[in-house]
Amino acid sequence: MTEHALQTDGLGKRYRRTWALQDCSLSVPSGRVTALVGPNGAGKSTFLRLVVGLLAPTTGSVEVLGRPATDTPQALSRIGFLAQDHPLYKHFTVAELLRVGRSCNLRFDQELAERRLRQLDIPLDRKAGALSGGQQAQVALALALGKRPDLLVLDEPMASLDPVARLEFLQALMGAVAEDGMTVLFSSHVVPELERVCDHLIVLNHSRVTVAGDIDDLLTEHRLLVGPRTTADLDRSGTVVEATHSERHTTLLVRDGGAPAAPGWQASPVGLEDLVLSYLRQPARKEVAA
Amino acid sequence: MTWLTWRQHRAEMYALGLLVAAIGAFLLAVGLQMHSLFPGGAGQCTGIDLTEACSTAIRRLNDEHGYASKMLNLFSLVPFLIGAFFGAPLVARELEAGTWQFAWTQSVPRMRWLAVKLGALGFATALLAGVFSAVITWYRQPMDVLDGRFGADAFDLEGLAPAGYALFAFAAATAAGAVLRRSLPALAVALGAFLAVRVLVAGWLRPNYQDTQRLVELVAVGDPADVGNPRMSTGNHLDWTIASGYTDSAGRPLSLYDSAAMYSAAEKEGVKFSAYLHERGVQQWVEFQPAERFWTFQLVETTIFAGLAAALLALVVWRFRRRVF
Repeated sequence: MTEHALQTDGLGKRYRRTWALQDCSLSVPSGRVTALVGPNGAGKSTFLRLVVGLLAPTTGSVEVLGRPATDTPQALSRIGFLAQDHPLYKHFTVAELLRVGRSCNLRFDQELAERRLRQLDIPLDRKAGALSGGQQAQVALALALGKRPDLLVLDEPMASLDPVARLEFLQALMGAVAEDGMTVLFSSHVVPELERVCDHLIVLNHSRVTVAGDIDDLLTEHRLLVGPRTTADLDRSGTVVEATHSERHTTLLVRDGGAPAAPGWQASPVGLEDLVLSYLRQPARKEVAA
Repeated sequence: MTWLTWRQHRAEMYALGLLVAAIGAFLLAVGLQMHSLFPGGAGQCTGIDLTEACSTAIRRLNDEHGYASKMLNLFSLVPFLIGAFFGAPLVARELEAGTWQFAWTQSVPRMRWLAVKLGALGFATALLAGVFSAVITWYRQPMDVLDGRFGADAFDLEGLAPAGYALFAFAAATAAGAVLRRSLPALAVALGAFLAVRVLVAGWLRPNYQDTQRLVELVAVGDPADVGNPRMSTGNHLDWTIASGYTDSAGRPLSLYDSAAMYSAAEKEGVKFSAYLHERGVQQWVEFQPAERFWTFQLVETTIFAGLAAALLALVVWRFRRRVF
């Protein structure tokens, strides 16, 4: 097993004349749950589709589970993918969808998938289109997990779910991770729920990676500094991620690994949500080394 | 994968199968009745001297089955329906519903997915169109013997051509669906392309698949002469007449104006038009495709449409290979 489940180098994708993703170099550690965060239109879906081989890159390369991403049966069988809005054949019954999984995969754990659905009281003879949104997401997840993938990729899996369904989905997902120990990569633009489930974070903005790292490390490296209001050029050392000014105070988010603060400034730890938001608010083209 | 293809497209298979079955049953019912008009086969009722029984049979054929031509012209859309209803949703439905992301991330690579779908549905298209044309070929048999097989209500519906048309419709609808990403617009575009190509090929290319044969002879006194159209016989009433006309004694073609002038002159002199022409050594000519070229023409026509279908499917394969979706 390689150390990285996924590694990209200078990855870019252009649709006609607009770049959906540019110069994206990152790695996703094995056996971890990684969140890919970014605003809508940041290139998350494009990135994930490149990873699972649905798209061919314009520039750069993707290496998945130690091999270049292709769509050979062997490569495909090791990846589970749950696309945005969990698309399913709506006029198929759940049992028929499971049969699709069985007939279109080298290995498919029908029993596992059925057990999951039975636990959730999802009737197998019901058409997928007649299920609730949460149940459809669960069916799609069961289908992806039935492949017993080494890498599970989920694109905004909870975006269209209500809070209860969201929670249930997360529970199902985390339960599966605990059982199987697979690598999970999922995209989201909802920050609060990430902290509970993931241990690695990648922030994508303006089609570029702005920050990436283990969440624990990121939280120790970053901190908030509050001091008297100043509008001078604060970023001399290149460590300031964001500066906000109120009437009397200036608040800085810095990434300095905990160096002693200048006199008159007070340091405090930063929460994950504030940290992510600061990076998301950064203007286009400003790059911060990961 | 085979099961998935069947499950996804069985509704179309049932509907189109039913359509072809219904047409077949109807043609069988009226066809048996029509065939029974000619107990000894319609072949005995050709030529100029008809027996009493034959005259009656042909009159009844015209009276009771005169709608056949109109009906068959309508049926020339059936190959389109067969092909387009299989082709339009093939790629477009996956793109519309987003299910392509599900379908192509199972362990079946998308090229294989495409190959299975194109193979299975293309085969179903050709098979249904083949059954359809076989039924019509049988149904039209007396009419073929009496009127020939080159008319639009015969050539376009018999033999191999309908399978070629259906495959072309299938490929056009599949390609349109892969480009437009919507089934319904794909169906509309495919219909436009189908009609345009069919009209173009039938009207412009088909008469030239082989060089026409040409007959020239002096207008005889008793010939049925007409100003623009000499109605000259080729010797076989099943031949496909492409063009006909008059030339003067020196071999120069007579324009419509010339022959009209001759017609008025004949009127003025009080002689029959044909006699007038005969006196002045006017010759009549006809260009035609002999009846026995039917199968050669069918083969050429089918090859053209199958070739176009292959080109369109190559476009779909190319888009798949580039992974542009």
